[in-house]
Formats: sequence, structure tokens, C-alpha cells
Amino acid sequence: MRIEFTPRQRTLQKELRAYFEQLMTPELRYELSQGTREGGGPEFRKALRQIGADGWISLGWPEALGGQGATPMEQYIFTEEVMRTGFPYPFLTTDAIGPVLAEHGDEEIKRTVLDGILRGEIVIAIGYTEPSAGTDLASLTTRADRDGDDWVINGQKTFTSLADFSDYVWLAARTDPKSKKHRGLSMFLVPSDAEGYSISPIWTLGVRTNATFYDDVRVPAKNLIGGEGNGWGLITGQLNRERLSLVNHGSADMLYREVASWAGATLLPDGSRVIDAHWVQHNLARARVGLEALRLLCWKQAWQMTEGTLQMADASVAKVYGTEFFIELYRLLLEILGQAGTLKQDSPGAILQGKLEFRYRVGSILTFGGGTNEVQRDIVAAAGLGMPRGR
Amino acid sequence: MDFSLSDEQLELQKLARQILLDQTGNERLREIEKEEDRFDEKLWRDLAEAGLLGIGIAEAHGGMDLGFESLCLLIEEIGASVAPVPIVPVLVPTALAIQRFGSEEQARRFLPGVASGETLLTTALIESGNEEFRMPTTKAGRVGAGWILNGSKTCVPFAHRAERVLLAAEMDGGVGVFLLDPHVAGVELRRQQATAGEPQFEVILTDAEIAPDDLLAGPESAASVLGWIEQRSMVAHCAQALGVAECATRMTAQYTSEREQFGVKIATFQAVAQRAADCYVDTQCLRVVTQQAISLLDAERDASEAVAIAKIWAGDVVHRVSHAAQHLHGGIGVDRDYPLFRYCLWAKQLELTQGSSSRLLSGLGERIVAEFRASD
Repeated sequence: MRIEFTPRQRTLQKELRAYFEQLMTPELRYELSQGTREGGGPEFRKALRQIGADGWISLGWPEALGGQGATPMEQYIFTEEVMRTGFPYPFLTTDAIGPVLAEHGDEEIKRTVLDGILRGEIVIAIGYTEPSAGTDLASLTTRADRDGDDWVINGQKTFTSLADFSDYVWLAARTDPKSKKHRGLSMFLVPSDAEGYSISPIWTLGVRTNATFYDDVRVPAKNLIGGEGNGWGLITGQLNRERLSLVNHGSADMLYREVASWAGATLLPDGSRVIDAHWVQHNLARARVGLEALRLLCWKQAWQMTEGTLQMADASVAKVYGTEFFIELYRLLLEILGQAGTLKQDSPGAILQGKLEFRYRVGSILTFGGGTNEVQRDIVAAAGLGMPRGR
Repeated sequence: MDFSLSDEQLELQKLARQILLDQTGNERLREIEKEEDRFDEKLWRDLAEAGLLGIGIAEAHGGMDLGFESLCLLIEEIGASVAPVPIVPVLVPTALAIQRFGSEEQARRFLPGVASGETLLTTALIESGNEEFRMPTTKAGRVGAGWILNGSKTCVPFAHRAERVLLAAEMDGGVGVFLLDPHVAGVELRRQQATAGEPQFEVILTDAEIAPDDLLAGPESAASVLGWIEQRSMVAHCAQALGVAECATRMTAQYTSEREQFGVKIATFQAVAQRAADCYVDTQCLRVVTQQAISLLDAERDASEAVAIAKIWAGDVVHRVSHAAQHLHGGIGVDRDYPLFRYCLWAKQLELTQGSSSRLLSGLGERIVAEFRASD
């Protein structure tokens, strides 16, 4: 056992930290603070193109697909450094969809969409969830029918995040109407300027997301990616990696540090500092203890992915622990800020730009998003403990 | 980054499991627990014969010199089998400390006997009303070339069978670390009944003599020696707690997968499966924080924060897992004919040994203040 970064990994971390520090210009920070935290604004686009031009986007892709072949451990370090800065890096585009296009796309898809991703010019939204197909995703009913050289898509997706500024939707649709469940699903790239495609906003507790509608949307056959009927494998193949980026330690650690520094600097009327109170120290210590386990679970999982030994239960353990810890962490930290912690950014008296007021509102997405935690616990009980499944 | 065990360590783990599996069945444990001391001397000898007691001891003193990390693997197995042997008190705070800080003569005097299983040693970690190992109230006064001790220690495991009790006492110029022979005049041992059944003693010291060659560290180095001992002992207890939590979780999964009510295995009720899954998640968290502390200590790196964090997790996890395991078992979980009760007893024992979660959180909070507080 040797539970620390290798010198090479430390060098990468240092390089990335400096890189993203300079990338986050005041203009970009300002834009991201103005209701566009998810990205999509001109400064976001500019920064993403810069990241592409500097060659970072293909870091973790296999060399055979034109990537740099970084290990999952190195890819994790990259993710952590990005998340520390708060830059809304489109991980699903770059690391879930990109490599799939590199492997399965035809020459034209590679020349246009894939190159666009690598240059940081293209963002893709995920179109999986439907009003009646959430956790039971395989029951989705959006359909694609073959018509000559085209596919014609009809249906509705919900919670299509980023669709308000993305260039494509990575859409799961049923291509075999007689099929049931996970058989007969295929993946499509739907351009956001396609006729018959429309979106309407969904304002959630936290961020904006979208409903997307597909009314006789016509896409050419090459936009079906990875072969007819192979959609389910493409969806599930990326889930472990997605779960790991959901519970990344980087941004949570930054929040803890910001609140601790605030408490260490802020004076109370009696001349003491906020951090002098025992209960504040207790909350910070609780946060620290929980963060340490999260960091180590993430490291271990990235190491297991590198070694090819990741077990199904391990990914679910990190998902359950990390997402539920976040909820607890926001509470521990908000208590320290007190009632002023409830003030939104730009309000007079807001603390730390209202970051925690925002974070607690978005935090609840993660316990059910990316595979709801009850299903993860079922996986842990069955795969980790060998218990029989119900029903 | 490497979380893997070496082939040698895997072999060692296998060997330990085999010996312990054979000798810690419910019947055998029940027999041992009828005796005055919860101590299986035959098992101790077998562990010694297999070389396992010498994992952390240098080859020159009859050990295998495989390091702290390997020793913790054995300790985890002891936790998982709730074996009635004083593995942590003898091997970690005492033998490792003598090896690291003792004179060549002291090492020669005690370590070969530890590795061969003939010599038991122990450490007095606390005093009544004082759990600060590094700040004892027991006093050591100079008499001739040696010392005499006055004061008391409490909850000292196996003090009656130990050749020496490592303890700290206040002396001229600071604190000293001594190796007390508990069988000399001036030492009174009062047997205590501790929750997990481990033989423990209150040690009353009234002008108890310490021979000149039984000083381990004087005031110039005692603070760092005691810190070194404390950290390794805490992490050893975390490894033991990990074994306890992991085994209690497995037993629960197995029992609920067999037990039927309403015509089905109760594990198929999601309320049952999900709570067992929480035990698994908790245990994985305890595993990684314990591994990190072990890895740092093994490399002789600063680990004070990692050690505190690991022990906080250990205290929280054994508490939660123990009660979830009992609850999911129902009545049989608390029946002393069924082996789960021992895990619940050891869970509480380990939770409160060397710092409860709340106390350690308070200490960690002070470290955080030192890191983040602006100066006035």
C-alpha cells in the first residue's frame, strides 16, 4: 500500500491547478455568477475553446482513439482540479460521449462533431430521462422510425440539462417498437437546430434544466451511433465514470476551506472569531472527517479503475456515501455562516457570494440523479454482500 | 497510488485466517469464556509458532520484520474473529515501542520472548479521570540509580500476566516512559470487569520500584515517544474495529439471507437490505481512512490528523454497525448462544478505547483552528 500521489501525479496536479487558476478570469467568474453557473455564456465558450486548444480534452481517452491515454487516476486528478475552480466543465460531453463517437462515429461525425468536442466548441446534452422513465430508464418510449436514409424521432425527454445552449442532444430512443425494456434501444446525435426539435425551460430548486420535444425530427442514418439496438450498453458503460465525477472531492473541499477561512477571519462583537466557538470547531471537524473518507474512496475507485479491478458495489458505495455526505456537509457549513448563509449572492450581507445558499439547493439532485441511492443500496446488498434481491 | 497488498501480505492474511478460523468457533470461545481470563493460551502459542507474533519484530530478535502495515492485517483478523488474545496491547504500544526506542539490551531482553509467545507485555494507556496518555499524574521519584512510582493506572489489559507494563510518569524535568515489572512490591493489581471480557486491571503504585535499566525514555524524548506509541496503538485499534465491523456486517447479510418470515427470506425486504448496505458503506469508509493512517505510519510520516480521523470513523462505524447488526438479527442477535454478541461488546470496547469520537473531534477542531484562524 502507498496511499499518496506519485511524483508524476503530483506534478500533474500542480500543473492543472496553476492552469485552471489562470483560466478563471474575473470576466469568466462574473459571467458564471450571473445565473449562468452551468455555462453557455461567451466567456464560458471562450474558456472551453482555450482548454481544447491546449489539448486537455482528450486527456483520458484511449490512445487508439486519438486520446492521450491518461489513466483513470490522472483523469480523476484532472476532474478534481476542474471542480475546485467551479468551472462547469462538460464532463459528459468530453468523457462519456466523446470517446464513444471516436470509437463508433463515421468519418463525417468524426470530422465535425468529434473534432468540435476536442476543440472545445461543442457541448452535448444528455437525453435519457422521460416523464415516465426515470429510475426505470429502460421503459422509455421516445421512438425512432426508419424512413429511407433517415431516422424520424418522436417523443419527449425531461431534465435535459444544458439543452438550452448545447449543440446536440445525445438521445436514447426505441428503434424496435416491438422490443421491451433495454433491448431495441439506440443512441442518436440530434442537432439542436433540427426541425421539429424544441425545448422549454424547467426551473428547479437549484438550476435551470429543460424539457425537450421531438416532433418528426429527421436525422441521417449516420447519426445513429454504435449500431442499431446497442443503446443500453452505451448508456450503462459510462455510468461508473459518471458516478465518480458526481461525488468528486474537489469542490466540496474548496467549500470547506472557504468557510473555515471565513470563520477564522470573521470577528464577533466580543472580539473573538467565529472559529473560536467550540460548536463551530466541531462542525468543521465533522466536515473534515467526512471529506477525508470521500477523498480516499474516490482515490481508491480511480486506482481500481486504473487497475481494472473496480467492482460493481464499489462505485455504488462512493455514490451513496458522497451524495449523502454533501447534503450533510452543506448543513454543517451553513450552520457556521448562520442566518446570513441564507442570503443569495449579490444581496447585501451575503457571505461567500451566497455559494452555500446555492449549493444546498442543487445538492439534493445528486442523491437521486445518476442512479438513485436506493437502487445503489440494492446493488451494494446484492453485489457487495451477496444478499438475495427482492421481488 | 497503490491500495494493494503484496503477495507476502496476502499469504500472511491467509495463514492468520486459517489459524483463527480453526480456533475461534463458538464452542471454543464459550469454553474460554468460562475461565477466569478470556485468554486462549493455545491459540497464542499457535500464532507464535506460525511466526505471526513476530510480524513486526526484527529478524535479529526472532521476528519476521514485515512492518506495521502487515501487523495491522493480523490485527484486523483478530478483530474479525474476536479471538481471545492480547494482540494489540502486547505487540503494538509495547513491543514496537521497545524495538523502536529501547536499548539494544532491552530489545534483547523482551522481544525474542514476545515473538516466541513466552513473554507478554502491556501498556497502561490511561489513568482514572485522565485519558491523556502524554500527561500522566503518576509520579516517578529518583531513588539511587532507579526510580519509585506513586499513583495509579486503570484499564490495563493483561497486567497480571505481563512481564512489563509500559507507562508514563511525571519525573524531574518532565515525563518519563518506564517499563514497570507489575510483580514487584508496591504494585497492587485490582481486577476489573470490562465490557468485552478482556482481563483488565487497576494498577495501584505505592513506592513501586523501577530498575535503572527499565527506563525507556527520559524527559528529553518522552513526548515524541509517547506520541509515536499513541498513534500506532490508535490505528491498531482501528484495524481491529474494521475487522469487527466487517464481520458483523457479513454475519448480518448471511443471517438475513437465510431467515424466513412471511414466507420469504427477510433479506428480500428492501428495508432490511438497505440497512445492511449502509453497514457495508460505513465499513468501506472505515477501511480507506484506516488504510491511509497505516500507510502513513508505515512510512514513518506525520499522521496525527489521519490517525484522529481514522479513530473517529472507527468509533462511529462500530457503533452504527453493531446496533444495525443486532437489530437486523432480532432476538438471536442478543442471545449469548449465538456469536454476534461478542462483536457488539468489542464494538463498544473499541469505540471508547483511546478516545471517543466526540473527544477526538474536539481535538481535531483545535487543529483546524490552528490552520485557519487569523492572528489577532
